Amino acid sequence: MTLYLPIAEMSVSIAVYLALGAAVGFLSGLFGVGGGFLLTPLLTFLGVPPAVAVATSSAHVLASSVSGAVTHYQRKNVDVKMGFVMLAGGLVGTIIGVEAVHLLRKAGLFELTVSLSYVTFLGVVGTLILIEGVNAWRHAQKTGAARSLRKSGQHSWIDGLPLKMRFNRSKLYISTVPPIIIGMFVSFMSAIMGIGGGFILIPAMIYLLRMPTGVVVGTSLFQIVFVAAFAIILHAVQNKTVDIVLAAILIAGGVVGAQFGTAAGEKLRNEHLRILLGIVVLIVAARMAVDLVTTPGDLYSIGSLTGGL
Amino acid sequence: MRRNVCAVLFAMLSLTSAVSAEPAKESVEADASTRQVAITSSFTGTEILVFGTVENSVQPSADAGTYDVVVVVEGAPAPVVVRKKSEVGGLWINTSSMRFASLPSYYAVAATRPVDEFADQAVLDANEIGFEHLRMILVRSGHRTASPAELADFKAALIRLKEQERLYVRSNFGVTFIGRSLFRATIALPPNVPVGPLVARVYLFKEGQLLGQYKSRVMLEREGVERFIHDSALARPVLYGIVTVIMAAAAGLAAAVALRRPA
Repeated sequence: MTLYLPIAEMSVSIAVYLALGAAVGFLSGLFGVGGGFLLTPLLTFLGVPPAVAVATSSAHVLASSVSGAVTHYQRKNVDVKMGFVMLAGGLVGTIIGVEAVHLLRKAGLFELTVSLSYVTFLGVVGTLILIEGVNAWRHAQKTGAARSLRKSGQHSWIDGLPLKMRFNRSKLYISTVPPIIIGMFVSFMSAIMGIGGGFILIPAMIYLLRMPTGVVVGTSLFQIVFVAAFAIILHAVQNKTVDIVLAAILIAGGVVGAQFGTAAGEKLRNEHLRILLGIVVLIVAARMAVDLVTTPGDLYSIGSLTGGL
Repeated sequence: MRRNVCAVLFAMLSLTSAVSAEPAKESVEADASTRQVAITSSFTGTEILVFGTVENSVQPSADAGTYDVVVVVEGAPAPVVVRKKSEVGGLWINTSSMRFASLPSYYAVAATRPVDEFADQAVLDANEIGFEHLRMILVRSGHRTASPAELADFKAALIRLKEQERLYVRSNFGVTFIGRSLFRATIALPPNVPVGPLVARVYLFKEGQLLGQYKSRVMLEREGVERFIHDSALARPVLYGIVTVIMAAAAGLAAAVALRRPA
């Protein structure tokens, strides 16, 4: 059964996009990432105009994140306070990011920046997650218990920063400066790359803020809910590229997939989850790197002058 | 006697008709089968039939080939940018681009035979008949100097890409005569056809001379839900964005509640 999309202006098979939404939703529930970094390239690959793909992915990210965040909240895995602190930086970062997109596009460097950002970030983050996951897994096999990432009583330069705040859920008493900067930086990158930013946020929360891994996924989803909602309205107003019909199809698949993903995530061990996420992120990075270095089948491409990306 | 009168009358009649047919100029009249194409949620592309007739046709039969007819159907013009990738330090990136002022978003050309076989380049250029005769005005090139060869490469690539998207369609023998004066052509509109008004132009040629032309319009419009959604997105973008956010958030909440398992 096919449906004509009012904004994308194309006829699509409902089943294909339902399945795509469900698959990405499953991964997003499993790993606590929004899934934008997977969905946007896949939609473009299926022929959806890039500008529409970026904007509409945000709607899917929002639904999956709400679904996941609520489940995590009920299980007390969300540090709401930390989420809001990061969000404060995030809104500023989004505004700076949107301006950067404008300047880069003017200089004709936008597409290159996006490709390199994807490959670099996904590559580095994927590798880090994978190494850490494998190490934790080995450690767990030796001692029979998962290694705690957080060493209590460990001091770092972060402890010297001002504006300290107590985060009960995360069992932390730290300066609000690092979370604000992390939120700002991730939102800046996600505005440029057209993603939610969970895959950058999660490692940053684990390795930089030393939050307990249990609350990291829920808190990341909680923060992404707001970033995605902000992005949808921004895209709808500035670029008019949000396809509500495509969004509805993707969401219908996505919310169900996310629930199963969250459930599956609870059955898997933390280190296994990290190894899997690392592999998925690296696959996407490799796919993009291949596109950058191999001789394209067609050197030429047509760009429309309307729309966002 | 009576028979003779008839014979004379018949001779006179055929004489007058022969005499008056010589100066009577041929002209063309045409129309499209549908003036209004509705784009609804079940739209998967469509076909429109362009038909017409040659006034004062002297063509003895449908396949005599006295006349050549060209049918051009085109969508609203829009600016286009073409980008070219090249290798920089091992990476394939867009390094040059050319921007063309206005090109038809959709362009279909059908004729009784390849247009270059019967018409002058000048006539084809003037009327923008055929891909090679489209007016492509360069607005701005990514790098300062674009050689004519480079420009030609970009133009060829643009047409090739549009053909791949099925937005530029050429049908060399797409126009057929059904009788001495009646002709028809079917034009395929793909599902990705840009929504907007279409113009159908019909040209009549005889021995390379342009004898007449005719213009007709086809409206391509969204209807029903498609129209409502599209209009809302353009006219009330903030509300549209908020509705999308609410829809997505509500779906996420509903799924979390409906599929909740004991923690």
